Amino acid sequence: MVEASKIYHRYDKNSGYALSNINFIIERGEFVFLVGPSGAGKSTLLKMIIREIIPTKGILKVFGHDVARMPRHRVPYLRRNIGMVFQDFRLLEERTAFENLAFAMRVTGASNRDIRRRVPYVLEMVGLPDKADARVCDLSGGEQQRIGLARAIINRPAMIIADEPTGNLDPDISFEIMHILRMINLRGTTVLVATHDREIVDRLKKRVIHLEQGRLTLDEEKGAYAGAL
Amino acid sequence: MPVRYNGLLYACGEALRSLGRNKWMTIASVGVVVVTLLMLGGFMMVNLNLEYITENVKEQVEIVLYLDDESTLAERNELREKLLAHGSLEEVRFVSKSEALQRLRKQMGDVVDGYEGREDNPLRDSFELKTKHPELVGAVAEELAGYPAVADVDYGEATVEKLFAATRAVQIVGLILMLGLAVTAVFLIAHTIRLTVTAVFLIAHTIRLTVFIRRREIMIMKYVGATNWFIRWPFLLEGLMIGLLGAALPLGALYYTYQASLEWVAANNLMFLTLLPIPIIMGELVKYLLPLGTGLGILGSAFSMDQFLRV
Repeated sequence: MVEASKIYHRYDKNSGYALSNINFIIERGEFVFLVGPSGAGKSTLLKMIIREIIPTKGILKVFGHDVARMPRHRVPYLRRNIGMVFQDFRLLEERTAFENLAFAMRVTGASNRDIRRRVPYVLEMVGLPDKADARVCDLSGGEQQRIGLARAIINRPAMIIADEPTGNLDPDISFEIMHILRMINLRGTTVLVATHDREIVDRLKKRVIHLEQGRLTLDEEKGAYAGAL
Repeated sequence: MPVRYNGLLYACGEALRSLGRNKWMTIASVGVVVVTLLMLGGFMMVNLNLEYITENVKEQVEIVLYLDDESTLAERNELREKLLAHGSLEEVRFVSKSEALQRLRKQMGDVVDGYEGREDNPLRDSFELKTKHPELVGAVAEELAGYPAVADVDYGEATVEKLFAATRAVQIVGLILMLGLAVTAVFLIAHTIRLTVTAVFLIAHTIRLTVFIRRREIMIMKYVGATNWFIRWPFLLEGLMIGLLGAALPLGALYYTYQASLEWVAANNLMFLTLLPIPIIMGELVKYLLPLGTGLGILGSAFSMDQFLRV
């Protein structure tokens, strides 16, 4: 699903490498944590997977395609296959939950009929069946992130990428969000979560990839955040 | 890039929404397009009519050669050959006396009743001629009077003299007018170019403002996999709508102004002022102003799009 071999990245010629010699393979259906302190290169790696940036050196394959060689006009179709979840949710706050999800579907050319059928179903999946008409800004942080999750899965992507999805949430709420991500994973969707939430990583006992100062320091099955220390 | 019906509807809705949201910028942009096209359209209207009037005056000048009733067919044929070979004539047309009678009846109605029979027809066969240069009509008419089978020459001396006197006056006035117009035209063209640049600039700015207001939406669209064209369409349509509105308003204004002018001319019995009919003048204006307006709009949005919307 994602295959990184000898990836290097630097933002410009004069700066040091934000990532150096990164190698890993993520298989279909895996649940992977990407951990490390701020500035370790987690976000850089995620941006590379959705081809916001391309590796300076090395090859990154996503769904079997080399992202560096992917023509620009194919990029939207790559992104339709990857659901993104953000720390700051990135929702249209003045619009309703329904409109936010419909918006993501409309982009892919979905018909109104498909939208009316699919949106309630996904809202049900994230536990907010009765919030369709609520404006996002009137929802709590946890609810907003559920809408974020719903938007990520609404177009049935093969993979979900979450960048610090619980960074702005209380621990209880964070577990709920992680629970939903696990449910999504159980349905066959690959999940990659970048986080520095130690507690969550330790409790879930999933594969953990550690990054530190742009290097991959540890990659372990059923790992723990503590493993990095 | 094919756009689905749904997508187009969405894009139109978005474009309309942001036009309403940036009300003042929209009004400013449309306003500049309106002023530009109004000046251009007004100039076109005057110019087209001047051309038309000049042509019309020339059209009306013609020579009629009345044929001697006693002349033989051979003489008439000889005359015809000579006329056709004449270097100053543009058009030669034979009008039989029965055709002339029919024409008269159409003009005068029942007055000519009772002359139906061919024998009674008091009119004569004739040739109607048009000269290449209307100014030559007098000289040519004099020359033709000596041709065989010609009984009489009529070129409406009095009328033509008056017409030319009038035309000369018009020409002098016209010359002054044209000079003024030319100066105005240079001024107008310079201004139109400046205004056009301003229009494109303002439209670009309006679109840029929309892009700025909607930057969050655009960012999200990119993350959920919107194609470049899906993102661009609403902005392109917004520019297009500004251009269309900017063309439609002056077209409407010019239509009513022109209609009022026609009515004024009719009310004041200024018969020599034969102006172009509304459908023709509006057709010309639509043909130029509409593409110009939409072109300005699209150009304006194209300027701000790529710089902001690269995925």
